[in-house]
Amino acid sequence: MSAKVTYLEAISQAIREEMRRDEAVFLLGEDVGTYGGAFKVSAGLLEEFGSERVIDTPMAEAAIIGSAVGAALMGMRPIAEMQYIDFITCGFDQIINMAAKMYWRVGMPVPIVVRGPAGGGTKGGPFHSSTPEAWFFHAPGIKVVYPSTAYDAKGLLKAAIRDNNPVLYLEHKLLYRMPELREELPEEDYVVPIGKAIVRREGEDMTMITYGAMVHQCLQAAQVLEREDDLEVEVLDLRSLTPLDREAISASVKHTNKVLIVHEDALTGGVGAELSALIAEDLFEYLDGPITRVAAPDAPFPYAPALEAAYLPNAAKILSAARELAAY
Amino acid sequence: MPTPVQMPRLGESVSEGTIGAWLKKEGDYVERDEAIAEVITDKINAELPSPVAGRLTKILVQVDETVAVGTDIALIEESADVPSESSPEAPATAPGPDAAPVASPAQAKTPVMEKAAARTAAPTEKPPTEERQRISPLARRLAREHGIDLSQIQGTGLNGRVRKEDILAYLEKQREQPPVAAPSAPAAPKPAPTLPQPAAVSFEPGEDVQIIEPGRMRLAIAEHMVRSKHTSPHATAVVEVDMTNIAKWLERNKAAFKQREGYALSYVPFVIKAVCEGIRQYPILNSSWTEDNKIVIKKRINMGVAVATDAGLVVPTIYDADQLTIAGLARKVNDLAARARANKLTIQDMQGSTFVVNNTGVFGTIISIPIINQPHAGILAMNAVVKRPVVTEDDAIAIRYMMYLCLSFDHRLLDGAESGGFMKAVKTKLESYGKEIDVY
Repeated sequence: MSAKVTYLEAISQAIREEMRRDEAVFLLGEDVGTYGGAFKVSAGLLEEFGSERVIDTPMAEAAIIGSAVGAALMGMRPIAEMQYIDFITCGFDQIINMAAKMYWRVGMPVPIVVRGPAGGGTKGGPFHSSTPEAWFFHAPGIKVVYPSTAYDAKGLLKAAIRDNNPVLYLEHKLLYRMPELREELPEEDYVVPIGKAIVRREGEDMTMITYGAMVHQCLQAAQVLEREDDLEVEVLDLRSLTPLDREAISASVKHTNKVLIVHEDALTGGVGAELSALIAEDLFEYLDGPITRVAAPDAPFPYAPALEAAYLPNAAKILSAARELAAY
Repeated sequence: MPTPVQMPRLGESVSEGTIGAWLKKEGDYVERDEAIAEVITDKINAELPSPVAGRLTKILVQVDETVAVGTDIALIEESADVPSESSPEAPATAPGPDAAPVASPAQAKTPVMEKAAARTAAPTEKPPTEERQRISPLARRLAREHGIDLSQIQGTGLNGRVRKEDILAYLEKQREQPPVAAPSAPAAPKPAPTLPQPAAVSFEPGEDVQIIEPGRMRLAIAEHMVRSKHTSPHATAVVEVDMTNIAKWLERNKAAFKQREGYALSYVPFVIKAVCEGIRQYPILNSSWTEDNKIVIKKRINMGVAVATDAGLVVPTIYDADQLTIAGLARKVNDLAARARANKLTIQDMQGSTFVVNNTGVFGTIISIPIINQPHAGILAMNAVVKRPVVTEDDAIAIRYMMYLCLSFDHRLLDGAESGGFMKAVKTKLESYGKEIDVY
């Protein structure tokens, strides 16, 4: 009987267990060693595994990811931490041109995990709040996962470390220590398979397709819709963005016939745009209303708390979009 | 039991009609065949004769409403009382084309005013179908799968949109009621006229282009042409016919014939006559391929004659054309062409054709490949008769009056053997005339 763990502890557990399981797994990033990570994800790892497997790096994301790619080509399984996921843009070339293309160029797998805290709601301003999945979702050759619960955080990270492809693992910092997300995790080793969505709540009247922190906003909205509008909303948590679980999407849309897509990333060219296109192409005649999206506006992330609150999608915005869609 | 009056089929390809005016009011007594309404279709405007004598008890389709062919548009009670019971002036208020001469100028005005009154008297509230019905993609698919007529369903979505729950509720209701009780049940889905898709290019009106909204007739022709090409695999056969004897005889006798009979004689009746004989030998040219993959051979030869009018092409019918002499055919052709151009064709004129002869030669063409008038097996285009040097049987070169006949035929129904045989029969007939021709 283990204690209930947070989303953040689940991530720590996954790294620790994988490093114990496989000597090829190591962690590198800014302040991951002596300091234990900006959010304390890697606290205690340096003591257990030593400075050759828990490596403090300079503030140079291109070097962090580039080193990881090189190590992976030599047979290692590195975990490259971005202190804030916003800074992944500095390492963009190493991910897109090196990690994601290497297998297609020379036939050598690049089993790296690039992970880091994403998302807003922490008053972090424009450089510490972004959620950059769309850029990588668009790029072939890299998997993208985005857990919303402690169980998935651990299981998906283990799956990502064991996967032979480069995987971008996005962890939402607002969920790190959220008390409601504490849960008891299985004692035994487990993974959450990449590419499998999960129905968080079953319903008849509408499907909300979402991932990351927005799963919880959707669940809140769904409760209100049940109580006040007598609507049964299904909430589908994608968990993996690449590859998408098209079967789960199709099954749910065929069941409810109305789709509300919710993500924290900006609207234009976001994951929701691709989901909309897929659904329109494959499931048009199953739709009883327009595919609807709730997402952040096409603007840089604001710093002022009032603006941040206005900028982020939330249960209230989801609720009003859902009501409009239900009435259609 | 009142007798329903239905929207007639005014032409083979016409699927709907619009009420232009009601010539009778509810409560009026009508004689059998008396005109009760003006019907406007893509092809012609015509007066609709009453199928029975009786009292017009109910007008079901209002002026300017368009409904599918076969839709009930009015009810007539046959057992109704004799005319004296109704308004004694009834006949005068609804003059058909053969109305008796009016007695006074005041009376002469009546029909116009009556018509105007009828228009304004029509219920002004628009039926909901007038507005485009809103339907979700899912509802549309479910309706298609269950054979539901969507116009039967009042949507409960935003702005009356028909959505999933409306279809499910309708199906539920149907399950509760035995199908007999639901006369409106699986009405055959209305064959919405599919218009040719415009090319992907789009034009903005401006100095370089003028954009025209095609009229009903142009739209109908466009729809029919596309449908015909989609329906029938067209194959073509062309033969050359020596028309010298007919041409020279016509040169000598045309004027006298016109003076004697009052109507002109041209190559057309000769060709129709020859085509009728060709069809007698090859009845498959007078057939149709049905939707359930059967071949229907029609025993009557009713010849459609293509007539160009200002509004577009119409194809009125000469019934039993094979029974007529050349002079008789000439009279029919003249009559139909004159009435087509005066917009005086009747419903009867526009129905029942089994084959078409089209004289594009009047426009000077020497070869033209026509499109089949559905649901026929073929169509024959005759072209200009022109003088050409021809190598004769005894290897001399002579100047002869030559014409190409072009047959488009439905290759589902016949092959080259039948089409070739048919064309040869037509050619042989046309070339069989001697120097003296008896057209009677």
